Order: sequence, then structure tokens, then C-alpha cells
Amino acid sequence: MESSPSIMNGPADRLAIGRAAETGLLKKIFGTQLDGPVDLTLILIGACFFLPAILSEAGISNLAYCLVWTFAAIGLSAMWGYGGILSFGQTAFFGLAGYAYGIFTINLGESPAATWGGVLTGLVLCVVLAALLGYMIFYGGIKEVFIGIVTLSVTLVLETFMAQTAGPQWAIGSARLNGFNGMSAMPSLVLPSFAAEPILLEGTNFYFLVLAMLAGVYFITRKLLNSSFGLTLESIRENPHRAEMLGIDIRRYQLAIFVFGSTLGGLSGILYTVWGSYITPSSMGLTAAAMPIIWVATGGRKSLSGVIIATVAMLNLSQELAAYGSQYALVLMGLILLFVVMATPQGLIPTIKEKLGKLFGR
Amino acid sequence: MTVILETKGLRKNFGGAQVINGIDFQINEGETRCVIGPNGAGKSTFFKLLIGEHKPSHGSIHFKGQDISHVLPFRRVGMGMSIKFQVPGIFPDLTVEEHLKLVLQRVTTLPERAAELERLLDLFRLSDEARVKAGNLSHGKKQWLEIAMAVGLKPKILLLDEPVAGLSDEETVHTGELINRLKAEGLTMMVVEHDMDFVRQVATRVTVLHGGQVFADGDLHAVLDRDDVAEIYLGKR
Amino acid sequence: MTLLATAYSYLYQFGDSFAYLTLSSLGLAIIFGMMGVINLAHGEFVMCGAYVTILSAKAGLPLPLAMLVGAVSAAIAGAILERLIVRHLYNRLFDSIVATWAVSLITQQAMLIFAGPSIEGLSTPFHSFEFGEYSFSTYRALLPFFSIAVLAALYGLFFKTNYGIYARATIQNARMARCLGLRTSRIYTMTFALGAGLAGLAGAIYAPTISAVPTMGSSFIVPAFVTVVTGGANVLQGIFPAAGFLGLIQSALSASYGQLAGQIGLLLTVIVIIRMLPQGLGSLFNRK
Repeated sequence: MESSPSIMNGPADRLAIGRAAETGLLKKIFGTQLDGPVDLTLILIGACFFLPAILSEAGISNLAYCLVWTFAAIGLSAMWGYGGILSFGQTAFFGLAGYAYGIFTINLGESPAATWGGVLTGLVLCVVLAALLGYMIFYGGIKEVFIGIVTLSVTLVLETFMAQTAGPQWAIGSARLNGFNGMSAMPSLVLPSFAAEPILLEGTNFYFLVLAMLAGVYFITRKLLNSSFGLTLESIRENPHRAEMLGIDIRRYQLAIFVFGSTLGGLSGILYTVWGSYITPSSMGLTAAAMPIIWVATGGRKSLSGVIIATVAMLNLSQELAAYGSQYALVLMGLILLFVVMATPQGLIPTIKEKLGKLFGR
Repeated sequence: MTVILETKGLRKNFGGAQVINGIDFQINEGETRCVIGPNGAGKSTFFKLLIGEHKPSHGSIHFKGQDISHVLPFRRVGMGMSIKFQVPGIFPDLTVEEHLKLVLQRVTTLPERAAELERLLDLFRLSDEARVKAGNLSHGKKQWLEIAMAVGLKPKILLLDEPVAGLSDEETVHTGELINRLKAEGLTMMVVEHDMDFVRQVATRVTVLHGGQVFADGDLHAVLDRDDVAEIYLGKR
Repeated sequence: MTLLATAYSYLYQFGDSFAYLTLSSLGLAIIFGMMGVINLAHGEFVMCGAYVTILSAKAGLPLPLAMLVGAVSAAIAGAILERLIVRHLYNRLFDSIVATWAVSLITQQAMLIFAGPSIEGLSTPFHSFEFGEYSFSTYRALLPFFSIAVLAALYGLFFKTNYGIYARATIQNARMARCLGLRTSRIYTMTFALGAGLAGLAGAIYAPTISAVPTMGSSFIVPAFVTVVTGGANVLQGIFPAAGFLGLIQSALSASYGQLAGQIGLLLTVIVIIRMLPQGLGSLFNRK
């Protein structure tokens, strides 16, 4: 099609004007980061590296615990907020990867190679299983709400199965699965060093590790979702039929983001297992499966930074309330979720920033 | 003149209803064929069969000489077919610009993209709404956005199902001009329409469907001036 | 004689599974199948029915009456939930899932706080009977028949009464129904309450056989979902074959490998069914 003289009078740099209007400060903070040279979320994460100077060791350890879960939340945001896939399977991959790490390291020791090998094994296991499950779902024509049902069923199967592995016959190598009691005493991650002893990644070191990983994962995810892949994914979310009619093989994109998001769930599982030296089937139960959904719904399905903040904040809140009894924490979580769904379906944090934006007259 | 798309003995039934009853159809490269017929004639179903949304009960469909009867829709689009359905199928949460970027990222390289984007926005009168979410557009603009997307794919054949439904007279004329421009550039098009003025504006040839079969087929005036064609619209046959 | 007894024992277990699957899923089926709402608080209506039944029976009501009270109170709770929350979410499927999940979480935990981890239960009525070397609970042996009776009653309700016609019309085309003068919002509330009441009935029926804890809903929701999904879109036609099919699988697996194997079998079955028959088993009985 040859170019033709423009019939309309609109100036061609209308687009440029539009872009300029977008660089308002609040939009920069929570909007599409990584479009400009400065990404505030990465800066925030960078600032957190200095927190050990202010917080106590216990505080840092607690913060590290909260950060561990952000990967699962980011993964769910990518799948659900961008891809429109509500997977209840995050905790399944969480548990699988955690157990994989435990089994690997209990059997193969605590050298850098063994522990990082455990991490790699857990992640690879997630990729493979998510690919298989995803293939069955997306290439098998399972759509919409049934994706949720199937992934929830998988999670429950795993939980039910693991819960009855208490007997001594349930062991892989020297690692007993232990049913409801869970698996424990697996080694921490270590880094090789030139000194005689390898560097143990515990306490503050572990905190730095998780923070660095978060920065990396955030960067990669942001880039991915801002790219043409991300745009295609969003079109599939908005109108899968129309996307198909534009020549897009929607199954491929859905599978890809499902594997990506689920593996991030596995990463959380591995880090959780490392943090506490412990993993149980209850981290795969119905209640546990609800948690990432609550955080992502609150943080705003499509806002990665919102999701990170919501996860850390709400986990922290649960911890505080758990002192009184975990029931109170869960009731509050439930109430927050209900409020978010009814009043601020876009997410609590995006709604707050929108109101703030109006307040400061963007 | 090469035949770009054809069907042989195409049939489709749903449950007991025989909606498409044996259609032998051919369209040549560069043609603009309008498909008309009374309601229930099977026009939209015919289009859906062509793009692969429905599987034929019998018969075959050939595109550029290849049998595509069982090819998945997205692959047919990849081969060069493009369709705009009757019901506006836009992505409510994406902006107009993002719609076109979505399409252009599949057919242009990065350097050409911005220029092509602007060209499409201008051509389809969407420059003012580039940043607007498609869900907030007026009906007319949604239709144009859809056609813009279908055109943006640089297809070999474009199927338009009621492109001017719900448009004002002025918008209808503008759409007709756009179609004629595309015709002049050699794009093959099939258009289902009820608006006879529009049909007269754009058509090279006309095919009339009735009861799931081809009732008449030929030059624009030859077909539209026939009494029996008028009669099927009035229900006499 | 022992062969017959063994055969009956398998039949008994099958009937037990069948009854459990039918009764636990009916309420969910009405709400999901007819209204398209995924009610993850379903288990809590079951719990409500069970708790109210137990408390009423302990307060002196005869058991059948206590059960009725239990079912009705669940229905009332359902009506309240529908009015407050569910009715705002009819076009938002995912949001209704998440919202009802939130309600489920809140209810379970709140019950744990207020009612403690468990309450003293009731004893199973009718005692037991012997067949060969096995003894069976009479009550549980009768449940399959009861569940069929409930199914038949529901069928009658939806196909033979005015409410049934109004409900089916509203659910198939609400706008048209309103144009014909039907109070669709009332019908939605009534249908939701019916679903909740049926869940409560399941809780009431099983109250004398299990220990009542605030989290008991969780053990009902999985079989309920599995049955509804397997039964497919056509709810009333699908539940019966689905419960039969799944009951077979569950009882066979439980008999050989234990309870948990039965649970896992159910879940795996639903995955396979969704993959192979997107319309569920009910559609096999429909002429498409």
C-alpha cells in the first residue's frame, strides 16, 4: 500500500505531545517504568540495600522473609494481570521447587555446587512441569475459569499426596518426605570464596541475595512485559478470539507466560525453603494458595511495583497479627481481599495512586 | 487473472440446520467482491468458514492453490488472509496506538514502524484518539480501528463483514473511499454488506447468497438490476 | 453368602460415595450451573447447616426438625450473602471467585475464633445392621436413596413449578425475563438461597456422622466442585451421571488404597474430564 497524502489536518507530532504529558512524577513512580532512563522501583530496591544499617538483624531477617514471596506474586501478576490467566498453581510450584531443593541438598551436601545445583534443579523442574501442564491446558483447549479449576486441582493433588508421605518408605535418597511434618534441616546457600570457608548466605547475606534477585527479576519481567511479547499477551487477555484472527498463536504466548510465572513461584519456594530450612505440604494448601491472589489483587494485577509493595506490606501485617493468633491475621487478609474486590477492583494501591494523582492535579 | 481464493462444494450444517448448502465460489486477485443476500442467507457463516472459525461439513477451501479446509485460523491469517467481523472485536483496555503497534510488530521492522503507525492513524482518522483506550471509542471509530488493524496486517485478501454497519452517511462514504483506494493498490477484498449505496460505490462484482447457496453472480449492474434478486429480498422466493 | 456380603459392601461404599458427592454438590451446582457464579464459600454453608443442626438438636429439637432448621439457616445466610456481595459481581466471574473465597476465609477463621476448634457432635441415628461378616450403618445405607429423592424433588421444582420456570427463564435471558415482568433480582436471591440451603442440607445430613470443626467446609468443597465440573453445563442432567461415575472411581480407589487415594483420584479425574470433555458429562445426554 503506497503512502498517500494525509487527508486529515492533525499534526504528525501529536504523538510527541502525548508522550511529553506522560512524564508526570506520579506516572513515573507507578506507571510504565523502564520507558525512560530512570526507573523508580529499581531505585527503591537499590535503596533497600542500605537498610541493614538501620534495622536490626531480626528486622532484616523478617524483611528477607517477606521479600522471598515477591517472586511468586510477580509471576502471578504476569500471568493474571497481563495474560489473563488466573492460575491457582503458584503454591504447587512453590512447594515442588522447595522440596526439590531440600531433596537435592540433603542428599548431595552443602558445597556451593550442591546448594546452587539444588536451586537450578528446582527451577528446571518447575519449567518442565509447567510446560507439561501448560501444554495440556492451552493446547488442549481448556479456557478461562477451567484453567483455575485445573490448576487448583493440581495444587490440591500435590498437597494431599505430600501429606500422606509420613512413613519412612517415602524418601528420595536420604531425604525423607515426612508427610505433614515437613522436610527440614536442609543447608543454606553458599558462595565459593578464596578463603578456606565458603561464604554462608545467611542472615544479612541472604537478604542481599534476595534483594539482588528481586532487582534482576523485576528488570527482566518489566522488559518482557513492555516488549512486543507483552503487548501481544495483553491483547490475548483482552480478546483472545480477536487476537487469534490477527494471526497470533495464542496458545504459544499463554504457555510461555504460564511457564515464566510458575517458575517464579518455584523461585519463591526455593528461597523460602532456604530461609527457614523447612518445607511442608501446608504451603500448598487451599489457604496458602489464596495468599498470592490476595497480594496481587491488592497490589493491582498489572502493577509490578504495586504487587511487590502489597506482598511485603501484607505479609508483614500477617506476621504482626500472628502474635495474637493466626486466625486474626487471616480474617484481616480476607476482609482486605473482599474490600479490594468490591471497592477497588483495579487494586488498592493503583486506586490510591490514582486518587493521589488527582489530588496533586496531574 | 489468478484465482486467489475458492471453495468447492462447501457445506455446513449445525445440528439439523443446513446453513451452507453447496457453494462453489471463486475470487480473482485484485477483485473487490461484494457478497449480498437477505438475512439468514449464510453470509457471515460463509466468512467464518473461510477464516476457519467453523469447520466445513463437506467440501473444501483453497487459498493461493493450497487446501486450507482444516488449517487453524491463526495460520490462515499468517498465510495472508485478514478479517474484520461484524461485531467490533477490539481490545478494550489497550489504546488505539497499541492496537496498531500490535499488528505492525508482526509485519514491519522497527525502523519503519513509527512511520507506518502514523500513516494508518491518519488514513483511518484516528490520530486524535491515538492514546484513547479502545473501549471508550465511538462505534464508528471502533469500526475504523478494526479495519485499520485488518489492513495493517498487509494481507493478500481482506474479508470485511458489514464494515459500515452503524456508521453515519459521511463515515460510510469515507469508508467507501478508503476501500476504493485499497482497490486501486491491488488489494483483493470480499465485503458483506446490506447498504446498497455502499455496494455500488465499491464493488467490482457481486455475489448473491440465498438459502446457503449462490443465487446470482456477476457484474455489479448485471446482478443488482435483476428482478429475481430484488424478489428474494422481498421474500417472494 | 460371604460373596454376596462382599458384593454388598462394595455397593454400600459406592452408594456412600454417590450420596456424598450428590448432596455436597447440589447446592454448588445450582449456583454455578444455573447462575454462573463460582461460590467458594460453598463449604461454609455446609458448615453452617451442620453447626446449626447440632446446636438445635442439643437444644432439644428432634433431629429431622433440627436438620430442617440447619438447612433453612444456611439458606438465609445465602440470601444475605447474595444481597450484600454476590449481586454486584454477576458480570465479573473472577471477582466473584475471589470475593467468595474471601468470605470463606473470613468465615472459617472467625468461627475458629468464636466457636473454638470443634464442638461436640451428635451420634448417628438408626444404629447398624449386619450382613455376612460386615456391619453397616443403616443411616448411611439410606443416604443414597435420600439423595436421589432430593434430586427428583429439585427436578420437580425446576420443571414443574412456577418458580422453576421463572428461574430458568431469568437465568437464560434476564433482560427478556424482566421485559415479561419478572422480578429478576428476587429470583437471583431465591436461587442463590436455594443453593445455599442445599449446601446446608448436606451439612445437616452429615452432621451426625462426622466431627464438626470450623474448617469442615474444605472437605466438602473439593468433591462438590469435582462433581459439578464433571457434570457439565446442564446441571440437573449432569449431577446424576457425574456422581455415579466419580463415586465409582472414589470408592474403588478408597477401598484399595485408602481415603487420600480416593481424593487424589477425584482430582485427577476432573483434570482429565475437563481436558477431554469441555462440556462435561451432562452434554453426553444432550442431543447437540
